[in-house]
Amino acid sequence: MDTFNLLLQGFSTALTPMNLMFACLGVLLGTAVGVLPGIGPAMAIALLLPLTYNLEPTSALIMFAGIYYGGMYGGSTTSILLNTPGESSTVITAIEGHKMAKAGRAAQALATAAIGSFVAGTIGTALLAAFAPVVVKFAVSLGPSSYLAIMILGLLTVTAVLGASKLRGFASLGLGLAIGLVGLDPVTGQQRLVFGIPLLSDGLDIVVVAVAIFAVGEALWIAAHLRRSKTSTIPVGQPWMGKQDWKRSWKPWLRGTALGFPFGAMPAGGAEVPTFLSYSVEKKLTKHPDEFGHGAIEGVAGPEAANNASAAGTLTPLLALGLPTNATAGVMLAALMQFGIQPGPLLFQNEPILVWGLIASLFIGNTLLLLFNLPMAPLWAKLLRIPRPYLYAGILFFATLGAYAVNLQAFDLVILLVLGALGFAMRRFGLPILPLIIGLILGPRIEGQLRKAFQLSAGNISGLWNEPVAVVVYLLVALILCWPLVALAWRRFRPAKAAAREAALERDPHQIRL
Amino acid sequence: MRPMNALRAIAVAAGLAVAATGCGVTGGADAGKTSSAPAGPLTGLRIMVPNTPGGGYDTTARTAAKVMGDTKTATNVEVFNLAGAGGTVGLARLVNEKGNKDLAMLMGLGVVGASYTNKSEAKLTATTPLARLIQEPGAIMVGKDSPYKTIDDLVKVWKEDPSKVSVGGGSSPGGPDHLLPMQLAKAVGIDPKKVNFVSFDGGGDLLPAILGNKVGFAASGAGEYLQQIKSGEVRVLATSGESRLEGVDAPTLKESKIDLVFTNWRGIVAPPGVSDADRDRIVDALTKMHASNEWKAALKTRGWSDAFITGNEFKTFLTDQDKRVADVLKELGLA
Amino acid sequence: MTQHATAAGKPAARKGRSELGIAALLGAAGAVVLWDASRLVVPYSVSDPVGPKALPIIIGSLLLVTAVLLAVNVLRGGRGQAEEGEDVDLSHPADWKTVLPLAGAFVLNILLIDVAGWVISGTLLFWGSVWALGGRNYVRDGLVSVAMALLTFYGFYFGLGIKLPAGILAGIL
Repeated sequence: MDTFNLLLQGFSTALTPMNLMFACLGVLLGTAVGVLPGIGPAMAIALLLPLTYNLEPTSALIMFAGIYYGGMYGGSTTSILLNTPGESSTVITAIEGHKMAKAGRAAQALATAAIGSFVAGTIGTALLAAFAPVVVKFAVSLGPSSYLAIMILGLLTVTAVLGASKLRGFASLGLGLAIGLVGLDPVTGQQRLVFGIPLLSDGLDIVVVAVAIFAVGEALWIAAHLRRSKTSTIPVGQPWMGKQDWKRSWKPWLRGTALGFPFGAMPAGGAEVPTFLSYSVEKKLTKHPDEFGHGAIEGVAGPEAANNASAAGTLTPLLALGLPTNATAGVMLAALMQFGIQPGPLLFQNEPILVWGLIASLFIGNTLLLLFNLPMAPLWAKLLRIPRPYLYAGILFFATLGAYAVNLQAFDLVILLVLGALGFAMRRFGLPILPLIIGLILGPRIEGQLRKAFQLSAGNISGLWNEPVAVVVYLLVALILCWPLVALAWRRFRPAKAAAREAALERDPHQIRL
Repeated sequence: MRPMNALRAIAVAAGLAVAATGCGVTGGADAGKTSSAPAGPLTGLRIMVPNTPGGGYDTTARTAAKVMGDTKTATNVEVFNLAGAGGTVGLARLVNEKGNKDLAMLMGLGVVGASYTNKSEAKLTATTPLARLIQEPGAIMVGKDSPYKTIDDLVKVWKEDPSKVSVGGGSSPGGPDHLLPMQLAKAVGIDPKKVNFVSFDGGGDLLPAILGNKVGFAASGAGEYLQQIKSGEVRVLATSGESRLEGVDAPTLKESKIDLVFTNWRGIVAPPGVSDADRDRIVDALTKMHASNEWKAALKTRGWSDAFITGNEFKTFLTDQDKRVADVLKELGLA
Repeated sequence: MTQHATAAGKPAARKGRSELGIAALLGAAGAVVLWDASRLVVPYSVSDPVGPKALPIIIGSLLLVTAVLLAVNVLRGGRGQAEEGEDVDLSHPADWKTVLPLAGAFVLNILLIDVAGWVISGTLLFWGSVWALGGRNYVRDGLVSVAMALLTFYGFYFGLGIKLPAGILAGIL
């Protein structure tokens, strides 16, 4: 097939020693940058842009793509080990991943994250190579009403993660929504919850909030209740994934990929939403629901696959249409323009060597990252053996450094402290953290898309369902909401069949799964 | 700790200290001092970019710094970022550094608008204008499936019922993509308050809306969409510059009998209270940079239009822009 | 909403009342959101029927409602589950002697970072944190702190071109 030939040519470009070296440099740098909260691949690429002015465009772009993928890997490492999410797309990984780490299963968490990322990245890149124009055509056709429907679907998932006390879950959601309000109103430009502090008018960055609540909050909480008695340091356990782990991971990897790729390709999709959709899906489908919240491997496998698939998804409209769907893609677009290359629908035709070399190098970069991260997983896990004072002081140190380095403003550290105190209070009084994060991510998006949908249809409410995707998703939402009622009705009106079913369930609970 | 270990520890500490000072990363002899000899290249200049790295202002500042370095008009120009609140955080800092002759800020039309919508106490009119560097005219664009074939088609339908024709722009209210349609509305006799402006998160977010015909029309810089324009996916109805935009087959607003010239410009300003001599030194360096071939080449590569004016000409321009923006935003209740 | 069995009735009651603090926090947050929304201007726009006030009102109301319900829940005896973990020993009340110095080290960094520079403030942050959490090996901790601050300072400069503040050590480093 023509595509296949082009891809092979691309490999010959990507496998030159020069480009290989840039790929290595990119993935290493990306991992380092991903590890640090606050600084992300977007900023790293932006900072390196002036330095790459004199390089071959292909080589520079290979390095940038390596940084992008590497950032996803690095972010999950600190999420799992230190509860300090390095990227907004690795926030969800911290929830189950860190619990696994504390239970001595850090190596398994890191391994499933690495392998899942590799699987997702490879499949995503393959989709990019084979179906770019089709994917892009679909993605571009989506408007605010479709996005609104999808975000509402995402909001439904909150109900799955409210935790033991639904009331406290909603309280947490409310706090997240309130934090999301801070900033400028998207339509009228008025300041909301800014209190006259100019630095607040840009809103609160989700990574800063997540780091504050996760890392700083936990450090303060641990400090308050540090177990002084000499317990063993965290057991490190087996270094490799066991058979059970593989069995439980492979489907979440695939499901995560399926969720992440489209969201990355959609202009308003983002990498965060598919990660918590994946989390909720895995929680619903798992055979071990009681493990969720205490270190369920599916909760790491799915979201990690989702975020890497979304990275591949993001590159699809960038290369096929010159359409950047997130900040990192935007900077890569700027990079292309710096080299005098005009990205757009004709890029594949005008610059085949560049494009296919880049795509081939994505496969290579992905493999490099797997080869680098997988053997390192047990070694990273040993990091947890550092004595508690150093470990938590280190967490605070790097959280501070990352948050400060983004804007070089001490104010960001004040936010870190205040929200860290909130994280402390939430841990003390049993408010679950995930609804807050979801509220923070979804609140502004739902409001934005809702009002945009109205604006584009001149105030007509039919603008909320004027797209086929929107209608389909709303039907799905209705189905999910009504499912408990349907199940109830089923049991009520088909007593014989239902009774037989329930008897069968009693004998073997795992036989049937709704 | 035993004395031997303590001694060792002190030795390590001393070693670290010596190594650190040896690296010589900060400071250096140039900091805080600019060359007083008018003949030699300018030294010690620091350009602040009030936005994040990778953005438009950042690229312009770094290009300028690079060209100045390459042509020896100025050496060791340091570019740093101070982002926040649409550029007003940087503006506030600049206005605070009264008399600092080594500091300059790269800014543009966006910062003017932001200084009003973000309720900034520091105003651009307080700064010392140095030079305007580049500009980009705006473009009125539609998708290829749009019913509007000329700007007159559009204006006709728009005037009938402004709320039915949504305008998309890549900036939030107060930004350049918002100011253009507002000023356009005024020029054709529509009340800006009635304009249905939909803000998108940059060019990447706006493009699908244009292609999918979801907005009535879009107002933004054409630079981001040149490929789509060339391939016909995006149709330009008019551009807002003094003369036609190179490579784009569309009339200007003036040619279409609409009295509006609008450009999204970028320039450099210095803190208030800088002496005339110090100001002229930087302006001289910028003028030399502008005259160089390297700068001309850079403009071409990046698709920027030359718009170099200095001194009082720039000052008048700045004041006029500030007033225009203030008027429009006040009318909308945003200032 | 499990009830913690505690040794004496008094700590339980005190604990319960402290949970009312969260309800108060939620109520205050809701009130602030609603107050802030009240001063927003809603320009009449046929194409934006939702307006800038709608969502803040909904969110503020949600917060107030949950605040009230939570207060009721707490007074009726409900309790939130405090988070547990290997490092966490919940049998004693919060050890403020540890938390406050830790927070203090953090605040110190905030105050000093622009003035004295990252190298100094970062060192103090790490050193202070380690001390607060129980490390008593002063010299070793101090050296590690200095090393980390210096390494990150240079690392950021050479790796990413980000200049962390040098503060009073400018010109020396």
